[in-house]
Amino acid sequence: MKSEVLYPGAFPMVRVELEAGENIKAESGAMVASSPTIDIESKMEGGFLGALSRKLLTGEKFFFQTLKAARGPGEVLLAPTVPGEIVIMELDGLNEYMVQKDGFLAGADTVKIESQMQSLSRGLLGGEGFFILKISGKGPLILNSFGAIHKIELRPDQEYIVDNSHLVAWSATTSYHIERAASGWVASFTSGEGFVCRFHGPGVVYIQSRNPGGFGNWIRQFIPVSE
Amino acid sequence: MTPNALCFGSQFPVTGSPCHVEITPSGMRVRLESQPSEPDDGLIPFSNLSVSSGGLHHDQLVVQWSADSDRRTLFLKDPEIIRSFRETAPKDLTGELEEAASKVRKIRRRRRMAWIAAGSLVAALALFMWFGSNVLVDLAVSRIPIEWEKKLGEAAYRDFLAQQTVVKEGQAVAAVSEMTRRLTERISDDPYEFQVTVVRSDVVNAFALPGGYVVVFTGLMKKAENGEEVAGVLSHELNHVLQRHGLERIVKQLGLVAALSIVLGDQQGLIGLTKQVGVELLTLRFGREQETEADVTGVQLLHRANIDSHGMIRFFERLSEQQKEPIEILSTHPMSAARAARLKAEVAALPKQTLEPFTFDWKAVQDSLAGS
Repeated sequence: MKSEVLYPGAFPMVRVELEAGENIKAESGAMVASSPTIDIESKMEGGFLGALSRKLLTGEKFFFQTLKAARGPGEVLLAPTVPGEIVIMELDGLNEYMVQKDGFLAGADTVKIESQMQSLSRGLLGGEGFFILKISGKGPLILNSFGAIHKIELRPDQEYIVDNSHLVAWSATTSYHIERAASGWVASFTSGEGFVCRFHGPGVVYIQSRNPGGFGNWIRQFIPVSE
Repeated sequence: MTPNALCFGSQFPVTGSPCHVEITPSGMRVRLESQPSEPDDGLIPFSNLSVSSGGLHHDQLVVQWSADSDRRTLFLKDPEIIRSFRETAPKDLTGELEEAASKVRKIRRRRRMAWIAAGSLVAALALFMWFGSNVLVDLAVSRIPIEWEKKLGEAAYRDFLAQQTVVKEGQAVAAVSEMTRRLTERISDDPYEFQVTVVRSDVVNAFALPGGYVVVFTGLMKKAENGEEVAGVLSHELNHVLQRHGLERIVKQLGLVAALSIVLGDQQGLIGLTKQVGVELLTLRFGREQETEADVTGVQLLHRANIDSHGMIRFFERLSEQQKEPIEILSTHPMSAARAARLKAEVAALPKQTLEPFTFDWKAVQDSLAGS
């Protein structure tokens, strides 16, 4: 499996080349085009209950689609719904990543996806909901973001503060706790940040340069109200 | 030799170097994948190590030591390795480890407690909303001025009528007006000016909106055998308004949605679902208690207006008996045996009345609706 990002920037696409018999899983609806040798199957990752819990709890799609090079090698073009960058990572089998629910685009068949419950404070205040995806295993993992994707590298015990709605993915060796953006409650909210996540290294944190919720609020004022 | 841990240091990649860790009686042997032959065969004596827990869920064993003027940090997750570390390492080191482990357990317990507390809070709130909130709802409703209620009802009423064929004149309208007049004359301190509109539709139903806006469908009038039956349904609907049942529903529903959104924040999946189910269930119909209340007060109103109270009972009973296709009014007002019995008992308990028949000829009213 070889993958490459086409048209990097706001509207990218990924080309994945599959050997005969290889398959990848992708977010359902992510396939744009493919060679005729590729079969699409929808698959409930983690069984019915796993899929159901993922759907209900993370809001992630019920089915993932599996793209299989059943009748010989071929290529697949994949794209996310929202404008924003795509990043391809290689999982080494040891590093695990937590991915917020809209961040997953595709992954090799050897990549394992589970939904995981967050702690109450992280779930309530973290901005990614109570459930996030935990991605482990070995092989390529393709993530997408809203806006550009930025990688923050943390050395052991190094700290960094991220606004909670800009998170895309972070490695499981990092830890974070949620705190108010400013020292006072009022100042926290009037600063427009509310809560932030203080990350503690080592590991990497991927953030997106735009906040989907903020964008939604901004665009709402331009949508005509139907009578 | 498959790697089983991640090693961090200033010269290593930021996501850590995969390495193989082995516990020996004298220390920990770390073999980096990238440089297989470390000096001393990678053995680090226990005395050089310090341990803690780390990672997102505090479930990883973090071992730190100094090497080559650099601080190395190792993240271990493999339960086998962690166990053998605990068994082999000297007491002073495992003491630290146990401390770290008990800290993790405490965090987990606290987290579980927080979830249980939050869960019970939500459950308690939901229970309160369903069962215990009537007092609060009544209180809230009593504080809403009739004027507001009228505005609310009127908006919905106009919206609804705009899409319907309203019967503006004729015998049917005259008959319904007479029933309305007879009934409303007998309401003491009536703050509403009831507006009853006849709408051309085969739907066998009638409904009331907050503020005194009532709709009677011609389908209902065609099914009724006499004016008393329609008057019975009308009386029931008028009493939904008088008891402010619509407003109670709205307040209850708003309260529930508000509470849910507050408690759950703006989490997409779960709430979307709960909210939808909750709202749909609540908007579908009046509560059973409200129906009973409207039944009882409706029968009393009929009695005061000297209209035969058996009309309504007969109407529902007949409809349930001959029901072939689903009839809308029965889906919202099912005529259970219990309801019929209660209504009959209610009627029987009332003092004897002198019936005053309506002035219209019901057959002629129905004929005027025929062919439409």
